[in-house]
Amino acid sequence: MKQPGSEKMIKQSPYDEKWWEEWERKGGWRPEGWKIVEMNDGPTLNDLKPEKFLVVHRPHGSMFHHSYGKVSQFFIGLLEGKLYGTKCPKCGLVYCPPRAHCFNPKCRLAETKWVELPKKGEVHSYTIMAIAWPSMAHLQPLVGAMIRIDGTNTCLPMTMRDVDPEKVNIGLKVRIDIAKDPKGDLLDVYATPAEEPVAPKRTPEELKRFREDMEKTRAWVKKTFGTK
Amino acid sequence: MKKVGIVAGSISRFDNPRHTLAEEMCAEAVKMILDDMPDLELGDFIRKGYACCYSYFSDILEQQQCMHWIIHDYLGLSAVPAYRVESGGATPIDAIVNAALWIRSGMFPVVLVVGWEKMNELPIQKVNEAIAIAGDTDWDFVSGFTYNAFYATMEARRMHVYGDTEEDLAEVAVLNHNNSLDNPYAQWPAQHGFSKITVEDVYKSRLISWPYRRYECAMTSEGASALLLANEEMTKKLTDNPVWISGVGFGTDTMRAGDRPDNPAWKGLYPEDEKVWPKNIPKPMSPYPDLLNFGSLRVSARMAYKDAGIKNPKKEISFVEIFDPYAGVVLAGLEDFDFCKRGEGKKMVRDGVIQRHGELPCQLSGALTAQGHAVGSTSIAQVVDSYWQLSNQIGKKWGAPSRQLSKPKKAFIHGHGGTGCQAGAVVLEV
Repeated sequence: MKQPGSEKMIKQSPYDEKWWEEWERKGGWRPEGWKIVEMNDGPTLNDLKPEKFLVVHRPHGSMFHHSYGKVSQFFIGLLEGKLYGTKCPKCGLVYCPPRAHCFNPKCRLAETKWVELPKKGEVHSYTIMAIAWPSMAHLQPLVGAMIRIDGTNTCLPMTMRDVDPEKVNIGLKVRIDIAKDPKGDLLDVYATPAEEPVAPKRTPEELKRFREDMEKTRAWVKKTFGTK
Repeated sequence: MKKVGIVAGSISRFDNPRHTLAEEMCAEAVKMILDDMPDLELGDFIRKGYACCYSYFSDILEQQQCMHWIIHDYLGLSAVPAYRVESGGATPIDAIVNAALWIRSGMFPVVLVVGWEKMNELPIQKVNEAIAIAGDTDWDFVSGFTYNAFYATMEARRMHVYGDTEEDLAEVAVLNHNNSLDNPYAQWPAQHGFSKITVEDVYKSRLISWPYRRYECAMTSEGASALLLANEEMTKKLTDNPVWISGVGFGTDTMRAGDRPDNPAWKGLYPEDEKVWPKNIPKPMSPYPDLLNFGSLRVSARMAYKDAGIKNPKKEISFVEIFDPYAGVVLAGLEDFDFCKRGEGKKMVRDGVIQRHGELPCQLSGALTAQGHAVGSTSIAQVVDSYWQLSNQIGKKWGAPSRQLSKPKKAFIHGHGGTGCQAGAVVLEV
């Protein structure tokens, strides 16, 4: 019999452990302040009366240390600029997001094998985010797409760059790029058009509205971040 | 089959913020039930072997785990058997389904279902994040997408394949908002007053994630609701105006919407739906549901219909409450619930079928975009509204007699979580 043994460090990126420890200590529940407010409340709009409430501003924060388990190879691949998926040796389905076990009911959770994937694919569907993650708000309007990587049976959600939001459409062929400074999550992967996009059909009113929406979104970004 | 009856229901209204604590809102809701039922004693719960089933979605929104222990204690029910059901947005409907199954099992004669959510403690971006991490945090969430974006990609695909339009979505939003105006538990009129809105107003609301605009997305809410369920004998003892839960169902689909186009588990499951596909668009291996429909809604609805002995849902059901965090779920849901063929949900909207005076009124409460979406309370409140309709109590409970439907017989209420990762449904009848 073997024992698992202890964890052996192979490679590590630097991170400011001290800074985050301090951040966790600061985010430790004690109120940073408070307010007393009054407002009408009650169980129905037919039964309201003024009530007084104390609201405290209570911080909480932590750092998580997350393992990608048996699909770590995908992310190790990103660090090396490569795209990997897994393939079921029984039914041949190719997964990206990868699965360590095939989910085809016929395959009885067969263990999959790693395959390198081409860095190209197609838009299965898309959206234009006018509210994205706070950390990506400066990129709004931001195209998000469900990308079917060539040869896979799945879609991987990713953001798109160098594409006119007005022109993005289902069926658009894309190139998949990996960030030059990969951090080790899915945001390291993004798509750019690999062909001239053909805009979806829009009525003149829809097009006018769409352009106004894009303008408003860009104006908000400019006002908030002073860029773009 | 053991029958399950609704004896009473209540809502502590949706709003944001409601600085009232979760346990206080729950107490307000349960108090309303007690006011309706002078003979019901909370002390009877332990003596007579009743139970409680609690429904709330998130431990993160309040940074409180096991919130139901606080609620249960606050209601004075310590010692009484209880547990919590949690399945994202499907939480409240699953709590009702669970409670109904407990009663059918013969284990408990009476079950109190209580649901709530507090969604105003974090800034809105963090609320979005707390909800979004019900998605796969390794493979969905960290793509930068929130749920707004995932549902938007699904609707964009429906537009491409079925021809849903922005106007269809806006019409659903108008229906919801205007239906909520007489509802004293609804968040929209609490915040915005009692004027009707139009399609133009929806277009003026800000873009969230194309094609979705603010008025087409669920509100984030605080509120609570409660339902008292009982077996046949106790139902008849406790009320002379009962409504019966004649069917329950639940179903699932993949965690990640992106895994659906070629999912072998769905292939061939609904051959009729797989045939509905335009010629010029490449057909995935599993054309139903793809990213177009919600397979879990279909599974849960057919299960509930079978359970309730319903053969022709569109004919037999009087009105419907669809769980619509985004307007497009109404279009897809009408198809998945067998009210129309695949791709024809938009037609039911355009033909006015789902309007208040239409053939199949939908969203009478105002649903998630207008009554509100305090997650753990949402479907319970939709069931309570529907229970009041079926038991002819809208005049009394809403203070709006004009909104009482004339002798409705059966109602269908559905709920789901994630991008349709899990769904539940109930059929109510008089």
